[in-house]
Amino acid sequence: MALQKYIIVFIITVAIFATAFYLATRLDARRLADIRATQESVSIDILSSETQFALLGNMDCQTISENPILSTELNSLAGRLSVAEENLGTTNPEVIRLKKQYSLLQIKDYILMQQVSQKCNLKPVFVLYFYSNEGNCSECGRAGDVLTYLRTQYPGLRVYSFDYNLDLSALRTLISLRGLNGQLPALVINNRPPVYGFKTFEEIQTLIPELKTLSTTSAATSSRQR
Amino acid sequence: MDLGLYGIYLCLFLGLYFEVFLFISFFEKVPEKKTVRHPKRYPSVSMIVPCFNEEKTLAGTVESLLAMNYPKDKLEVLIVDDGSTDNTRNIGEALAKKHPHIQFFSKENGGKWTALNFGIPHSKGELIGCLDADSFVAKDALLEVVKKFEDSPKADAMVPVMKVLAPKNLLELMQSAEYTFGIFVKKTFDNLAAISVLPGPFSIYRKEVFSKIGLFKHAHNTEDMEMAFRMHANHLHIENAHTAVVYTKVPDTLRKLLKQRTRWSQGFLQNSGDYSHLYFNPKFGDFGVLVLPFGLALFLGALYSSGYLLYQILSTLVTKSYNIWTSGVVVWPTFSIEHLSWFYLNTSMLTFLIICVASMTLAAILIGRRVAGADFGIATLLSYFMLYGFIAPLWLARAAWGTLWSRETVWDSSHK
Repeated sequence: MALQKYIIVFIITVAIFATAFYLATRLDARRLADIRATQESVSIDILSSETQFALLGNMDCQTISENPILSTELNSLAGRLSVAEENLGTTNPEVIRLKKQYSLLQIKDYILMQQVSQKCNLKPVFVLYFYSNEGNCSECGRAGDVLTYLRTQYPGLRVYSFDYNLDLSALRTLISLRGLNGQLPALVINNRPPVYGFKTFEEIQTLIPELKTLSTTSAATSSRQR
Repeated sequence: MDLGLYGIYLCLFLGLYFEVFLFISFFEKVPEKKTVRHPKRYPSVSMIVPCFNEEKTLAGTVESLLAMNYPKDKLEVLIVDDGSTDNTRNIGEALAKKHPHIQFFSKENGGKWTALNFGIPHSKGELIGCLDADSFVAKDALLEVVKKFEDSPKADAMVPVMKVLAPKNLLELMQSAEYTFGIFVKKTFDNLAAISVLPGPFSIYRKEVFSKIGLFKHAHNTEDMEMAFRMHANHLHIENAHTAVVYTKVPDTLRKLLKQRTRWSQGFLQNSGDYSHLYFNPKFGDFGVLVLPFGLALFLGALYSSGYLLYQILSTLVTKSYNIWTSGVVVWPTFSIEHLSWFYLNTSMLTFLIICVASMTLAAILIGRRVAGADFGIATLLSYFMLYGFIAPLWLARAAWGTLWSRETVWDSSHK
């Protein structure tokens, strides 16, 4: 029995662990860089739309109503952020920073879309969804599922999700403007007073009569039944 | 990070440490290739064939012994019927009548260890071997063992290379890969002088071993393991003759496999209790410091990991079901072309470590295949990697449970 071998094997094993850690960290860093790049691109797109809107006043309303600004990019960004959150944890400073940036982009898109809707006489449905993933919102998971399902059934619906606890002044302003009292999950539908707690799909349909004006996917009627 | 995950990392660390240790030890002394030379001397050999209800395979087993390239006047075969209730006795008697160097004995049923102990005093050979009556030896197996004994005068016992006989279904294929992994492990343990079991199929002892340390014991129905433990405890040497091949039948149903492996695993735990003084004791070399402690640690680690995985799967299922039940909507994971991007691949540290452990296991199997000239394809490897991780925890859990409640396992003909 050679003690030296036991030590060498220990060093090799630690080295393998260190390599695995290094690889995982490097790829996570690349992921964050990827998200940052996408956010920058979305940010430029929003700025461009805002500028265009300011220049032309009513822009090309036909184009806007047919291709809602940035919804695809924002959804893709949300998916990527959730992957980063899963890998790095919700408390990772870089993830939090990107989430703040994402929340800002959502707010900007929300404001811009409201302006566009007014000018172009559109009737979109906006849902602001406030959640928490700090473990103090047992119903947030289910509420998220219902909203995800709702969005698949009504692609024209614009849902903006916000982490209520994010330390972001613009978000705090939005929260106070909409009169939220801290109860979660919370929904703000088309600037109406907030609705608190978990709501089933049917309850949300009742809460949003405007949904009838939105086009649905073909699967909406068939897959709805439990 | 989830606290339970730290336990998984610890298990992976131990698993990797063990595998790295095995690889380094294996390459310290790469096994030599088979030679055509003959032994300088042909010692007399007694082969004991204990059997209990082996009417289907006994004749084939004995024929394979008689077909070996070894001087017939130097080989005797002792068939010991352990109170069979089928036609084993008639077959054994007929074989003894037909071949002058076969002796047949019949005794009351008492377990395999009693059959071996019955045969040993009747053996006249310098070397005494045992062969389970569902195993078949290669023609040159004994020659190779004798050559190895000649090369290693220090060796007190020799274990062969075991291959699965004609694997057909997925379970047998899985075991075929596992046995091939075992070939690598056994050769490495040989380099470390730490072989931990003298399997029933074709383990061969110098006769003096039994006068030095006594005959087989009940040993929780794992007399072959206990004998190895006892030999280490008495500083006797066990070596591996990697060029001596024996083919064995393996359980072909899950029920039989679980029964066999529960007995082996429980035997390991209970014999570990009986020989606890060997643990972490440098007097017993790598067997005491590495093989036994890591055997136990990996046993517990595998149980913990599978328990953790099961908990994660069940808790996710419960949460999802509850969400679906209460929300009334089913949200299926969406898939788009974007999800093919590397971004969505799981590249966590855990993934890399699991890949590392799996790659080293694969490499060990391939080395085992090369050492023993085993021949198997991708289906064997796939069945091993797809099934083993799910099935092994079942027998580990049963063995742990049986040990906790001191339940004895059962030995019978079909579950060696």
